[in-house]
Amino acid sequence: MKKILIFALTIFVYSLVSAQNADEKKYLLTNKTNTFGISTLGFLDPYLSPLTYSGFGLNYEYQTNRFLSVQHTDISIQTKFNIETGIALNPQMSSDMLYLGANYGWGLQYHFAPFHGFRFLAGGLLDLDFGMKNVERNINNPVNLDMSANLNLTGVAKYDIPLRHKTLKLQLALQTPVLGYMFVPKAGASYFEMFDLGNMTDAFHFSSLYNKRGLNSVFTIDVPFNRTVWRFGFKTIDLRYSANDLVFNRSEFSFLIGTTFDTFNFAGRKNKAPANFISTNN
Amino acid sequence: MKKVIKHIYFLMLLVVLLPSCMNEPAVQPNTFKGNFVSLWQIIDTKYCYLDYKHINWDSIHSVYASKVDTVKKELTFFNLMGNMLAELKDGHVNLYSDFNASRYWKWFTDYPSNFSSALIGNSRYLGSNYLIAGPFHYAIIASGKVGYIYYQSFEDGFSNSNVAYMMNYFTNCKGLIIDVRNNGGGSLDYSKQLASYFFKVETVTGYMRHKTGNGHSDFSSPVEIKTPADKNIQWQRPVMILTNRMSFSATNDFVNRMKESPNGIIVGDKTGGGGGLPLSSELPNGWLVRFSSSPMYDAQMQSTEFGIDPDYPVALSATDQANGIDTIIEKAVALIK
Repeated sequence: MKKILIFALTIFVYSLVSAQNADEKKYLLTNKTNTFGISTLGFLDPYLSPLTYSGFGLNYEYQTNRFLSVQHTDISIQTKFNIETGIALNPQMSSDMLYLGANYGWGLQYHFAPFHGFRFLAGGLLDLDFGMKNVERNINNPVNLDMSANLNLTGVAKYDIPLRHKTLKLQLALQTPVLGYMFVPKAGASYFEMFDLGNMTDAFHFSSLYNKRGLNSVFTIDVPFNRTVWRFGFKTIDLRYSANDLVFNRSEFSFLIGTTFDTFNFAGRKNKAPANFISTNN
Repeated sequence: MKKVIKHIYFLMLLVVLLPSCMNEPAVQPNTFKGNFVSLWQIIDTKYCYLDYKHINWDSIHSVYASKVDTVKKELTFFNLMGNMLAELKDGHVNLYSDFNASRYWKWFTDYPSNFSSALIGNSRYLGSNYLIAGPFHYAIIASGKVGYIYYQSFEDGFSNSNVAYMMNYFTNCKGLIIDVRNNGGGSLDYSKQLASYFFKVETVTGYMRHKTGNGHSDFSSPVEIKTPADKNIQWQRPVMILTNRMSFSATNDFVNRMKESPNGIIVGDKTGGGGGLPLSSELPNGWLVRFSSSPMYDAQMQSTEFGIDPDYPVALSATDQANGIDTIIEKAVALIK
């Protein structure tokens, strides 16, 4: 009986210590979000046409967020990759514009919670933009490229709504370009002259709030289900920039749907998966 | 912390409010008057030959503005605008609607054609057993001494392989004829590529400028147009380029390049010109307007808008034509022999 008691006590103490260790050990998770969107688009590109083209588009975004390290949970790293396609028509529907775009962003955000229930994030994002607009019926100016590298300011407000069985997460993310470098052709310069003859004079421009302004806002709500968290929301983009006496405008309104989940990455010699984790790579 | 939040809030507000300061240019209303003003302004600010051709565009505005006021039907308005554009006397200027396309063709209709497709189809030249490599129709003529190539349009692309086969076929020929009569142009890339087989070294064969402002003579500095030398395919024997008034636009560019080639000789009529690279714009009613935007020059910085003179001016003789002989081809053959 005494032996049994000692054995049971040993097991109890061991499990208590193990539990305490588990509590103390922190794991850095990466939040990953995939969203798909359907959008209305508006483009003013005076290199292609003085008229504003409007239409519809589809977009996909993959976003990851994680804290810098387990010791630094006030700063997080964000990466974004977005692709978009759309078709727009001129007001008389006599000409169409095909749009293809891709965007990559990498940034850091500082977390703080000045009010109860709210969390705020503020930071910067290095942003690479590549887009192509094609008006097929144009002659010698059928394409214009939207190429830019930007430093954006980002801000996020988060608020959790606790319900009986689940917590809804509201999020408003804002982003605006502050500084950058962009490609804007001169109105009279053909792509033949720029790319065939190599005359890129005045084609690249420094951008700041003086000649490039915009606001990209994304409002989402995360709704947990049994084993998934679905994200619903909408996104608006209003971007205006100017160079070579041309004023460009891009506006967009998207409905978004996607999923968000946390993952832990095992990789390398020092970050092996525990034995009870099964991988095809083991 | 409150101070920080205030600053962030102020910055966001600034970002929202600032875009209103960057104004987009006003678009004319979609009325006859609005479309007329829009078209007139596009030409006034973007067309590159107003000063070069001594066109008083302001007086043309006066003439046509009064006529626009009386227009009731869309087709009448289209024809009126087409007539206004015809004042520019430019084959690169067109107005495109869903129901018609305006054009100016006097740059070749006012001149002898100097080309007959029936003649080059004669057994003396291409005959019926000619070979076809991409867009090129070719045959050996003049008792095996001359290679003859007819190229109908620079819109039709070709490969190095097409050209390599032709050059190989012409190995025993003394010279080559490239007939670009009635070739109305197309791609400047094909023009450059075709010319590159006849240059030993990269050569400056012309210049290009573009409009930099709304003034009629606001142009950029000239940029060199270079013709490269193809590394693998070279024809370094005489090459005759046959031209007529319908050799226009990219064909005009090809002829301009070949003028600078070491063995190139231009035979036939003056080319039709079209030395301004055209761009396009739109009117509020959705019509497309094409216009010369970037003037091109030859190696001596002379405009090529009105055409390029041949080295040997030759016209198609009616007597020769009646006998199934193409006077211009015969002259080119004689120059090779």
